[in-house]
Amino acid sequence: MYQNKRIVVTGMGTINAIANDIPEFVRALAKGSCGIREIDLFDTTGYRCRKGGQIRNFLPRSFIPEEFPLKSLKRMSRADLLAFAATLEALRDAGLYPLPEAMKEDMGVAIGGGSGGLLEGESFYGDLLQKGSKKAHFSRLSSVYCASSTDRIATYLGLLGPKITLMTACSSGATVLGYGRDLIRNGQASIMLAGGVEPMCRITYASFNALKSLDPDVCRPFDRHRGGLSLGEAAAVMVLETLESALARGARIYGEILGYGVTCDAHHMTSPDAQASGAIRAMQAALKDSGLGPEDIDYINAHGTATTVNDVMETKAIKEVFGRRAYAVPVSSSKAMTAHTLGASGALEGIVSLVALAHGFMPPTINYRDPDPHCDLDYITEGARPATLRAVLSNSFAFGGNNTTVIFGKSPHGSAGHA
Amino acid sequence: MRNQRPQTQDSGRVVVTGIGMATPLGVGKEAFGRRLFAGESAISDIKSFATDSFPSHLGAEVTDFSPRDFISLKNLRRMDRISQLTTAAARLALDDAGIAVNPDNRDRIGILMGTAFGATDVTVHLTETLIKEGPAFVNPILVPNTVLNAAAGNASIELGFRGVNVTVTHFAVSAETALAYAIAEIRRGAADYILAGGADIISPFYFEALSRFYALSPGDGKTEAGRPFDRDRNGMVVGEGCGILCLESRESARARGRKPYCELTGMGLGSSPTAPTQWPTDPAGIKRTIRHALDHAGIGPEDIQAVSAAANGGRILDAVEAAAYADIFAGARAMAKNGPAITSLKGALGESFSGGGMRACALALSLEKGALPPTIGLLNPLSPLAFVRGKTKALPIEHALLAGISFGGTYVYLVFLHCRE
Repeated sequence: MYQNKRIVVTGMGTINAIANDIPEFVRALAKGSCGIREIDLFDTTGYRCRKGGQIRNFLPRSFIPEEFPLKSLKRMSRADLLAFAATLEALRDAGLYPLPEAMKEDMGVAIGGGSGGLLEGESFYGDLLQKGSKKAHFSRLSSVYCASSTDRIATYLGLLGPKITLMTACSSGATVLGYGRDLIRNGQASIMLAGGVEPMCRITYASFNALKSLDPDVCRPFDRHRGGLSLGEAAAVMVLETLESALARGARIYGEILGYGVTCDAHHMTSPDAQASGAIRAMQAALKDSGLGPEDIDYINAHGTATTVNDVMETKAIKEVFGRRAYAVPVSSSKAMTAHTLGASGALEGIVSLVALAHGFMPPTINYRDPDPHCDLDYITEGARPATLRAVLSNSFAFGGNNTTVIFGKSPHGSAGHA
Repeated sequence: MRNQRPQTQDSGRVVVTGIGMATPLGVGKEAFGRRLFAGESAISDIKSFATDSFPSHLGAEVTDFSPRDFISLKNLRRMDRISQLTTAAARLALDDAGIAVNPDNRDRIGILMGTAFGATDVTVHLTETLIKEGPAFVNPILVPNTVLNAAAGNASIELGFRGVNVTVTHFAVSAETALAYAIAEIRRGAADYILAGGADIISPFYFEALSRFYALSPGDGKTEAGRPFDRDRNGMVVGEGCGILCLESRESARARGRKPYCELTGMGLGSSPTAPTQWPTDPAGIKRTIRHALDHAGIGPEDIQAVSAAANGGRILDAVEAAAYADIFAGARAMAKNGPAITSLKGALGESFSGGGMRACALALSLEKGALPPTIGLLNPLSPLAFVRGKTKALPIEHALLAGISFGGTYVYLVFLHCRE
């Protein structure tokens, strides 16, 4: 039945507020760059906040080669374009682009969605209200839903394997990494492209604005005076395959997906359970799935949104799971650099975790000033810290009370990394 | 090299022990089953909003539903329609499986829901407020329900289960994919019980969008009707509803002394490059996916007695699906006509995209009962396959296939096996 094949990551691609590709992302994480600035993608008049982790000067053509015609690019949403660009980088990074014909049959795509094409959706809806039903172009809705990104990636690359689109809000990008691994283990695919995408859009921004969750300044995870989250956008995609196939083709291995756990708070739609039960159980389930104990984890990439409730709840959960070791395991939130990229964040922070393992450093929690007595762990607030890591735990908690934890292990085959 | 046959162990075998439904044919498996096997259709003129300005007027709406029967007043206030249908069906599935959620089992009970479009009613309302009145007027209470995983989240809050909780949103294979994911999770031991299925709702905007995509009957301007696999089919009729199965390992069902409806023994997930929003025209991807599912179950095409098809009355989909079956099953048996009995329930339920949940429930009932309901609206079959027409066909079913086919070229097939014990 369930075959415990070892599944490794051999390629990565990302576009986010602090980097346009993986090498740039590695440098930005080591330096502690902040990508949270004034948004110019849309007019922020009337909102409580004007800042966000927006991707600047995104020119699809500089990421997507000529062989994909402009005509198809024009019909893609911002989310589709970001996801496709990150996928192409991940494939190139894995040494799989151009894609060998023989690999297409057993290759699939799993995307964790967020707002999908809502940026285009709201513009369509504006037209509909203004011009009326007869004049509005309903075909513009074709890329509104999250599955559009998955479909376009698979179709443009000519893949024949499974297509999966998951939506567990802010943990989507983490959940697909776990299910992507299992699709290979279950024999449904040999290689999975797995990742998440989240575009900046007004509807999402307005929703968080209405919930009063946004910090008008840059977000400050675990800081005493943190005032909420900063919204961001990103695409983050990985190439997953078996250790056996990675070794057979001599691929560079960033690390291994050791385990994952998914739970639900069953408490409140937007607010985490202060008792932290869901977060505790997600971490425990991921440890169990990995066959590891708390003593095996060397770094935690926190959900760390910088909302008052999350950071206290997550700190409590880490203490519960790690016991006294909680104070010995460094924890950081990369959201102070990239902002909270919602549906993409689990995959983006999966990349952060693999960068930490492969490049031997733990990225910092930037923007941090004042310690909070309720958040008293080692949050790496003084800049990136060099470290040789065995395993990294990454948390993603979401609307709907969804919690996903993924655990990544160091490359089973020596060191990896970019020159 | 895909799909090696799994080793058969009780703990790795996944059975269906509960059925929960909130559908246009009725709420609860009894009401649903009675009308379904009597050959009734739920399609009629849409009543929840005016359709005067559209060429289409038909739909399969959930009408006989009182949320108060299933949901506490405290939580109901925060729930939109899709969350209500999902929560009701989840409660019915748990009850039917004889599971009472308690502090000892709640962390081992999960939900895997499929929804293609989610709460289109709430999302449109929020968008309209934002555009017309500005960000300050957006009502925070609406926000959580615009997120596609809201229904599963609301169901967990009302019913108290805290295990794995994931929503799949991949157009017309959303529910079938959720079921495939749930099977894998039970096999992996990630949960003891998983509620798995799908839900979508009809809203005025959703109806308008489908209409403007020219997806709805009567696409040719002739008579409006749902006619899966018919030569005169002219588009789909829109539907809605929720169907949820309760899955657990055979070992667990045995230990609880529950007789399962059926076992889920195989799955295939595949795709073929297809233009976005277009239906595939080449049956190759469907055939490849069926073979994966059959291999995974360790059987061949000759072992299948029944197919619950994806055909929705669309010109392209129904033809390509029929062509795939003619190829797959003709090789196994001399004549396609002697092949498995094929039915599409979308003639009775309409197309609700995540209707795979309702169709999976119906197929579980079919295996238990030994009967396959007819394809309503099918008068002149487009091919000589063994379509079930007119009335329910009595038929002992050992193995059956549930078909999931989506525009965009995505396929999920699941193999259902009769349980003797």
